[in-house]
Amino acid sequence: MNGIENLVNRLFSDVGVYDAIRVTLCMSVCSTLLSSVFGIALGLTLERFSFPGKRIVVRINRTLMGVPPVVVGLVVYMLIMRRGPLGFLGLLFTVRGMILAQTLIITPIICGMTYSYAVKTAPAVRVFAKTMGASRLQTSLLLVKEMKYELYFAMISGFGRSISEVGAVMLVGGNIKGNTRTMTTAIALLKSQGIFHEGLTLGLLLLAMAFVIQCLADFLRREVREEENY
Amino acid sequence: MRIRNLEKRIGDFQLKIEDLTIEEGKIHGFVGGNGSGKTTTAKLIMDIIQPDAGRIEYGGLKLTDITMTSQRPYLLHDTVYANLVYPLKIRGRKPSKEQIQELLALFGMQDKAKQYARSLSSGEQQKLSMLRAMIFEPKLLIIDETLSNLDPESVEQFERMILEIQKKRPVTWIMISHRLSHLYRLCDRMHFFSCGRVIASGTAEEILFANEEPEIRRFMAKELVQRGEYDL
Repeated sequence: MNGIENLVNRLFSDVGVYDAIRVTLCMSVCSTLLSSVFGIALGLTLERFSFPGKRIVVRINRTLMGVPPVVVGLVVYMLIMRRGPLGFLGLLFTVRGMILAQTLIITPIICGMTYSYAVKTAPAVRVFAKTMGASRLQTSLLLVKEMKYELYFAMISGFGRSISEVGAVMLVGGNIKGNTRTMTTAIALLKSQGIFHEGLTLGLLLLAMAFVIQCLADFLRREVREEENY
Repeated sequence: MRIRNLEKRIGDFQLKIEDLTIEEGKIHGFVGGNGSGKTTTAKLIMDIIQPDAGRIEYGGLKLTDITMTSQRPYLLHDTVYANLVYPLKIRGRKPSKEQIQELLALFGMQDKAKQYARSLSSGEQQKLSMLRAMIFEPKLLIIDETLSNLDPESVEQFERMILEIQKKRPVTWIMISHRLSHLYRLCDRMHFFSCGRVIASGTAEEILFANEEPEIRRFMAKELVQRGEYDL
């Protein structure tokens, strides 16, 4: 009993678990929301319009969906470091800087998923809207409504990627205790100090959060399946 | 409405309609084999696809006054009720409960208002799509093979309903169908399509019984034998 109590005390005081959870959630929620706005709008726009080089744009986006986060972290670091082009914004080693990096990582994922869903759904929705006499705005709103489960799923995938990410936030955030330390960077720190038990406990906590997110994604997937015709 | 010198190429298929008049308040039938241009013409009228040449004179009709149902209708990821009221909703009109119940009752679907629309059988989905097309009282309705999955009783019900509507408030209909007996009973005018052209227009009697066009005779014989429609 004493061992567990000691572990919990150490986690919550020395490593700063409360703050790490707060920072992780704040960063993940904010970056997911921002990425959703950009990603969904870009995905729908990409589906809607034809232009020269569209296939290349789609391929580039697919490549960016799998970009190593540490590369994005490095690029963002170079942009926002004091002598970088965006250094005047003072984003280095701040949660806002981490949100920027995360947004750049997640946006292509949400954009790509939105585009793939829209390619399948949009033509039928547009024809239907036309036969009903819907305006352009009404058609766009209908399309978003008809794709709502798929869009939730894309957002959840983005969120899942965000909370489990370590490379970019370590570079851009600097892993400052109580400030920019996230759950993943805290685990990395504990490992480097050889404190494996605590690291594992924190990892399990992160895993539990990821599990809840996956349950939600699974629930949405089931919703879609149950709505299929029989 | 009048279609003049309309041309549309889709792959190897070329649609070319020199002159086709759709008279107001009449039931028109588009008949012809698969790939003869019936649905393409309907899509051009509906502005779903745009012509390469020629024009459609709508004669005062607005696109929002025209609707079209297809063999595989698109149903919203929502309830039967939500699907039914969608055309009213986008027009800012409030549906009355009585109107909805009355419409659903026409096809015996009054107890399905809260059911998820995509869980309906394919026949019920087609019925729903037709009711949805009629609910906002369009001036031109294009029914593209929508009756193909309906049981004979429902087809009869639908025919009665159309004839009743025509008595009260004549609407222009374009019925695209292979069922010659069905078109014969309903249509005021028929237009026979072949290889992207309208090769004959006239009353159902003129097209089905008095036309010597070999293409039409061949089609008639094939359709009647295949479907066992000897009730003409």
